[in-house]
Amino acid sequence: MSPPPVPESSRLANLLQGRATDRALALWYALVVVFLFAPILCALVYAFNLGIVGKQTSTFTGWTLQWFPAAWHDTSLRRAVGTSLVVSFWSALISVLVGTALGYALIRHPSPPVRRLLSAITYFLLIVPESVIGVSSLLFYAVTAIRLSSATLVAGITPVAIAVVALIVRARVLTLDRRVEEAAADLGSTRAKTLRFIVLPQMLPAILASAVMAYTFSFDNLVISTFLTTPRLNTLPVYLYGSLQYGPAPTVYAAASVVFLFTLAMLGVAFLLFRLTSRRPRGSAAL
Amino acid sequence: MTSMLNRRQTLGLFGAASGAALLGHVPRAFAAGGLNIYSWPNYFSSESLAAYRKKTGVTPAISTYDSDDTLFAKLNSPAGAGFDIVVPSSSWIEQLAAKGLLEELDHGRLDFGSLDPDLLDRDYDRGNKYSIPKDWGLLGVIYDPEGVGTEIRTWEDFFKAGEKPGVSGKVRLSDSGWETIGPALWLDGKDWNAAGEADIRKAGERLKSFARNVKSFTALDANAAANGSIVLAQCNQGTARAAIGLNPKLKWVVPGPTSELWVDNYAIAKGAPNLDQAYDFLSYQLRPEVQVSETEYIGFPAAIKGLRGKLGTDVKNVDLIFGGEGVDFSKLTSFVVNPKTIGIYLQVQSEIQAAAG
Amino acid sequence: MAQANGNPARSADGGRTARPRRSVAVADHLIAAVPALWLAVFFLLPLAFTFVFSFGHSLFGGVELGFTLDNYRLALSGFYGATFLRTLRFAVTASALCLAVAFPAALFIARLSGRRKNVALLLILIPYFSSFLIRIMALTMLMARGGVVEWLLNGVGLHAGPLDLLDTQTAVFIGMVYAYLPIAIIPLVVVLDRIPRALVEASRDLGASRWRTFRHVTLPLTRPGIATAALLTAVPMLGELVIPRLLGGGRGLLMGQAISSQYLQSQNYPLGSAMAVLVLVAVGVLVAALARMTKGFVEVPR
Repeated sequence: MSPPPVPESSRLANLLQGRATDRALALWYALVVVFLFAPILCALVYAFNLGIVGKQTSTFTGWTLQWFPAAWHDTSLRRAVGTSLVVSFWSALISVLVGTALGYALIRHPSPPVRRLLSAITYFLLIVPESVIGVSSLLFYAVTAIRLSSATLVAGITPVAIAVVALIVRARVLTLDRRVEEAAADLGSTRAKTLRFIVLPQMLPAILASAVMAYTFSFDNLVISTFLTTPRLNTLPVYLYGSLQYGPAPTVYAAASVVFLFTLAMLGVAFLLFRLTSRRPRGSAAL
Repeated sequence: MTSMLNRRQTLGLFGAASGAALLGHVPRAFAAGGLNIYSWPNYFSSESLAAYRKKTGVTPAISTYDSDDTLFAKLNSPAGAGFDIVVPSSSWIEQLAAKGLLEELDHGRLDFGSLDPDLLDRDYDRGNKYSIPKDWGLLGVIYDPEGVGTEIRTWEDFFKAGEKPGVSGKVRLSDSGWETIGPALWLDGKDWNAAGEADIRKAGERLKSFARNVKSFTALDANAAANGSIVLAQCNQGTARAAIGLNPKLKWVVPGPTSELWVDNYAIAKGAPNLDQAYDFLSYQLRPEVQVSETEYIGFPAAIKGLRGKLGTDVKNVDLIFGGEGVDFSKLTSFVVNPKTIGIYLQVQSEIQAAAG
Repeated sequence: MAQANGNPARSADGGRTARPRRSVAVADHLIAAVPALWLAVFFLLPLAFTFVFSFGHSLFGGVELGFTLDNYRLALSGFYGATFLRTLRFAVTASALCLAVAFPAALFIARLSGRRKNVALLLILIPYFSSFLIRIMALTMLMARGGVVEWLLNGVGLHAGPLDLLDTQTAVFIGMVYAYLPIAIIPLVVVLDRIPRALVEASRDLGASRWRTFRHVTLPLTRPGIATAALLTAVPMLGELVIPRLLGGGRGLLMGQAISSQYLQSQNYPLGSAMAVLVLVAVGVLVAALARMTKGFVEVPR
């Protein structure tokens, strides 16, 4: 990846090597994309696999469409998908709001002890194994006599997602020039206004990227969710993981493929709406 | 995504969500009405569920777990309340009952008469006070006779075959402590429910030295057995049936001197909010036609008497559903979790898995 | 991501002492208080139970509160100590691999301009809208005998015959890189993106080779991103349960599985809690040390 050092003065060599580097980087990126998409394509294809005795097989045993209606008729699977979508939406939303504030405060809060305390909590969040969060949350709700619900599930999942958002936003804030904020303050802008009109726009790309991460972290959360599901609340990962014990049916591939395409469609719509409603002709935040 | 919402909306939603979370405000009607089942995924035939819905207008809500441990942890927490029917395995019934997490069954409201007597009154739940057998399975071995070279009749054969070049490194063991250590205990002439710490550790030593031959401790993928990346494996008859369906050369055996019979059971959770509905559903599940549909759907045999003769003729490898011909329940043993030894089984299993790394 | 901005390279305070600040605004309080409160209630409070329980006696699925150090003694026994070290090695290796794969990709993305950059980043993120477990399950099918990877490697002549990739360490690392790649790429892109082209060009104009520019200009400026990416991957990897199980056949034992099985299979909350507390302490010390060493976690005046 990294080219070997060359004589410093050789401009021509630099240029040639530069092109080679660019090509190598492009190739690397392409391979990464192929790597990332391969399992998805595989899952899409195997949603049409006949399988054997109702179980998925890696040997393709024949084409069928039967798993799509079968997945629809499996009410517990259908419910799990719905719950997962709703829960991860809320979790992502809360995580982005709370996590962005946290990520900013980690660097810019005026009081060093507060900054240190917040950093400690943030890193602590990452260190704690999820099974510990899961069990202690379950015990916590047991002791406080709070019934498990979608709200407790969302609340249980958010801490980890918040940490992810905070750290991504924090990396961005680190690269922002503090003097711009100070200049704004010197010119009479209130702190809230500075945050809204100076800081926020600069952080937007990082916030959007971290929103995606928060969503996927929440959607894929397995361990914490296992402890916090209820009779009427089951999530897709919990369903999938359970099905591994007796061998998953191709229905889960069908369901997951539909969910994936649906999510993409929703994102597309969201993007279009964003573009349409965005006042700036060249939206700087069109991520 | 989030950017679609304007700030006021976002803040409003945020406030609503956090408020609900903080107050734990859940409508009381949340759990009552309908029927709440906690089970393995895909463990009820969609057909019979749909028929039940048509008959009663009630759609059972099924939440799923990935292990009996999870089921226990959830029922054991007051926060986990609200389940009507749960499907614990034979191994955990005693502990669930001891903790007062299961409702005692009213036998007058259910037809036990149609069930296979061999599956009733077993030592994990004498008199079936808490459980009704749902379906059952065996701990057996699937192997490729060509790859292994010998016939496997006992667990001794199993361990010996696993050491052979060509087989070593292609062996699968269970991830549950008692299923890996159990066979070594049986060969020592011990009962896995009575074995003490010393017995378990001694049997565990055998497994630890065997561990280097093991490739996987996770649920057997029927494909892996069929395509030869695993040639010798502990597994249940359901996975064996799938593997043999893919590769008819494979053989399935329940080795001697003894092996495991596990039974998954219907049980009613303590304080079930929909008790009547639960009994209604259980009676429905025990109907012969439902038992047949369940068997064909999940691939494990339901508990009704004479089930074998009632299955459709188009079902492939029917015998394998029942673990092969001539399975004698009286010669098999069911594991019962004991708080005194379960930690040791787990500890030794961890050591075995670490030794394989 | 076009940003019109001054001179972010000399980020932060540019090394001078911060001037006396105005009184702290309400907004600042709010920004710190909301996350602190949320996390205190939904994270720290439950976690306090873990700490208290770690000194209690096990009641099989329950805890008798008390004060004993037996759980810690057991958790520190040779077996779990070795498990912890193995887990640490595993996470560090996987994280390093992940960063090595991520960095060139991030560099490529950051060098693109405007719309293209967004599309390139989006392509990395799209796969993550599909369920993680399904993707890992699909990965097992791809890597299985007779699977696509075997066919491909045979096709290009890199391998002959059946490929037993599944249930190996290699498969686990492939899965780990796969699962954590975007979480490594994003912080890198975010930071790389902020390095002004002018700075890189200036370095080149002054006669530095591309490599020297990369080594002495780009890389140091990327430090916060690298540190964030390392942290965001390595630390969660310490608790990883699913990938080693699905792709590695559950051989070798990692700390996440060990703790989780104490809680679930043995229903021994005190021992599980003690193990968790020890892991927290050990990782906490390591992260703090790492933070000091890389200096990536504080605003580095330069």
